[in-house]
Amino acid sequence: MSVATKDRTARGALTHPDLTRLDDVNRDVLNVLKTPGKGWWAMLLISLAGVGMFLGAWGWQMYRGLGVSGLNSPVGWGVYITTFVFWVGIAHSGTLISAILFLFRAPWRQSIYRAAEAMTVFAVMTAGLFPLIHVGRLWHAYWLIPYPNSRFLWPNFKSPLVWDVFAVTTYFTVSAVFFYLGTIPDVAAARDRATGLRKKLYQVMSLGWQGTDRQWHHFGKAYIFLAALATPLVLSVHSVVSWDFAMSIVPGWHATIFAPYFVAGAIFSGVGMVITLTVPLRKIFGLEAYLTTKHFDAMAKLCLLTSMIVLYAYLSEFFMAWYSGEEIERTAFWNRLFGDYWWATWTMLTCNGLVPVMLWFKRVRHSIPALFVISIFINIGMWFERFVIVVTSLHHEYEPFAWGIYRPSTTEMMIMVGSFAWFGFWFLLFTRLIPPIAIQELKEVMPPPMRKQKEAH
Amino acid sequence: MAHMHVPSEVPVRYLPRSKNASMIAGALFLVGLISFVVRLRQDPDSAWISYVTNWLYFTSIAIGGVLFAFATWMTKAKWNWSMRRVSQSFVAFLPLSFLFLLPMVLMLRENYFPWIEMMATDPIVQKKVAYLNIPFLVTRNLVGVTVLFGMAIYFVYLALRPDMGLTEGSEENDPARASWRERLTQGWMGQEQEEVSSYKRMTTMAPAFVMVYAVVMSIISYDWAMSLEPHWFSTMFGPWFFMGAFWGGIACTALWSLYLRTKHEDFKHHIGLQQRHDIGKLSFAFTVFWTYLFFSQYIVIWYGKLPWEQAWIVKRSDPTSWGPFWLLIIGLCFLVPFAGLLGRKAKMKPKLLAFFTSVIVVGLWLERYGVVAPALWHEGDPVFSVWQPLIGCMFLGAYLFSVRWFLSTFPAMQIWQPMVDPETLEAELVHAE
Repeated sequence: MSVATKDRTARGALTHPDLTRLDDVNRDVLNVLKTPGKGWWAMLLISLAGVGMFLGAWGWQMYRGLGVSGLNSPVGWGVYITTFVFWVGIAHSGTLISAILFLFRAPWRQSIYRAAEAMTVFAVMTAGLFPLIHVGRLWHAYWLIPYPNSRFLWPNFKSPLVWDVFAVTTYFTVSAVFFYLGTIPDVAAARDRATGLRKKLYQVMSLGWQGTDRQWHHFGKAYIFLAALATPLVLSVHSVVSWDFAMSIVPGWHATIFAPYFVAGAIFSGVGMVITLTVPLRKIFGLEAYLTTKHFDAMAKLCLLTSMIVLYAYLSEFFMAWYSGEEIERTAFWNRLFGDYWWATWTMLTCNGLVPVMLWFKRVRHSIPALFVISIFINIGMWFERFVIVVTSLHHEYEPFAWGIYRPSTTEMMIMVGSFAWFGFWFLLFTRLIPPIAIQELKEVMPPPMRKQKEAH
Repeated sequence: MAHMHVPSEVPVRYLPRSKNASMIAGALFLVGLISFVVRLRQDPDSAWISYVTNWLYFTSIAIGGVLFAFATWMTKAKWNWSMRRVSQSFVAFLPLSFLFLLPMVLMLRENYFPWIEMMATDPIVQKKVAYLNIPFLVTRNLVGVTVLFGMAIYFVYLALRPDMGLTEGSEENDPARASWRERLTQGWMGQEQEEVSSYKRMTTMAPAFVMVYAVVMSIISYDWAMSLEPHWFSTMFGPWFFMGAFWGGIACTALWSLYLRTKHEDFKHHIGLQQRHDIGKLSFAFTVFWTYLFFSQYIVIWYGKLPWEQAWIVKRSDPTSWGPFWLLIIGLCFLVPFAGLLGRKAKMKPKLLAFFTSVIVVGLWLERYGVVAPALWHEGDPVFSVWQPLIGCMFLGAYLFSVRWFLSTFPAMQIWQPMVDPETLEAELVHAE
């Protein structure tokens, strides 16, 4: 520990031990943008088919009305809201990785943040569809937008649902700008190698980037300011989403811990999704030297931390429900564990609390296949968490005569599954258009090309 | 941002011993003790409220500071290398805190816990009997605190041990330092070996400590604060309490580091611009975070408007009693440090940083009181009296003395630093500043 060999202290040596030359980075990363292989086309076809299913089911619902879903009294929120919250949650780790970890000077973010940010933007795009789907009559969706309408009615600003519209739109705007800003130097690097139509596109996108000192200076300043501005958003957006639930006095929803609990859960699922996406990305495009076990180890630790926070929230909710002494609270949580939807709750507890226990072991954290499998469990578990919160609380509210069972219909499930295809479609396009790994930040941590390697430190 | 440079040879520096400082700490302790005894004869309930709230506060900032040492160790932070020992030094207060806890768990019954009497008549409180009963309360507090403090002390022991091999001859003829070195170097395995062994153990136990911290601090907050209004419950209460403690630990680390700077050139040099900027940023970030947790709890209760739930807030926002007091807390915990630490200068200039972290430390002290006291308050009592700070002097004296003793007995800057850690991603972000 106190004695270091020379090569270990070289800049970047520990993050990317196999990278030695700066031009390798450009070559390898820009290679991703070249004519894609069969695997890529196959995945694109699958996701297009999924998008077709998605649009078909949605069209069917618009044609027949919301009755084709399983939504009814008393469960008026079901798979749509669950999936909406799920995707907003997925969107979270992007800003965490790009903004908060940047401010904390955690260098392992540099290889994954581009993919994470892209994921964020696409996940919000996916999430944004669900309120539109859920309103049923799409042509009335503009009612969500707060403006004094012809009936002189304002939207109810006291409703957390309206806050949500603001929160999610703000989040989308800022994360899209942040994402775009970070890509500029890389798109310029791609521009310098591209030809034809692609070159024209990159010319527009790179905003005339030349890489001068002045431009870098402005870029650096803009980046850190945006990072600082985006940081509160990581907390605020999912807090507002949680208040969609917590503000009401539905048993199981009305809990003070909801805001930080949702934020932690969102980061948990988001980092899980980043692992799910970067493992194939690394494999298909041969980016093993760029996404090393170190990065996966760090992501796994982040998953572990957030999993512990989420588990703390689960346990404190169960404890507090018992401690409250309120019959309704106690029944709600008893029903959650042993009621009609026990399977959903136990899936959630297993996937989010039990499976991540494996991440305590370094061997698991360093095994990429194992991480991939665990990350899928996390995705499933976090979807179920929202399902548990939405459905178990609604189906079993105060009056026994108003209890009921909700079964998601095929249309709903098709739309839910289709949303993954829609998300995947955008992500696939992204890997073809924008360098999925930040070239410029990687280069900053690599040994500078000098005739004589200077002594580090 | 410049690359975090840890010098290869950290100088062995102690906080100079000072008779005056010990006398002041001793005098504070005595004043507090006498005040407590006097108050106990006048109005025992109020005396105990002051005792418990001050215990909660000083234990919070001490264990919060140790948590900060753990957290920065676990995340392999290097920027705070010169302040590690300061955060670790708070561990010296923990044995005293344990002693202070004993009268609380042994002597406080009906005079402090309203649920004991309510248990006879109140059906809701009766349902909580499995948790709200004295034997379990005493057990869980003693066991929890023992485990938590024990882990903290063991961690600091591990951190101190390798230093002891490097201080020989630089103890400035101080017998206490030498004798502690002897005690801590039993079974010495050699410098390299010690560093490796300490590093491994510290890294392994850190996550476990964090979990124990969350659980035990939640229990403390439930038992000594939340359960005083037995119909009220809030899942946020534990996190709000222990994150506040963490924040207090960070602010106190800043204050003690700034104090060290005035004592020697080396401290002045090594607790530099970078360190102050970073700890200022953290103090600021946790100001926002405290407010976030406070607000998230508040708005859910306000919006829900459930009678048993909002009673807690209604009591604390009554304009004729606790309202102004809580406004002051929000001012000191949020408005002043938020506005003050927003800019870069305030974080870097020692005097400004000391001022704003002091505001935080005072604000948090009032907060611990404002959480507990309204629950046991009766119409007509004063909201705040001079007894609160007077009795607090007892804890303040003990805290100042123990931390000062630690920093002058052990090197005030950690000498061994895990310089190159194969696990770390050794890299920097150049354009961050």
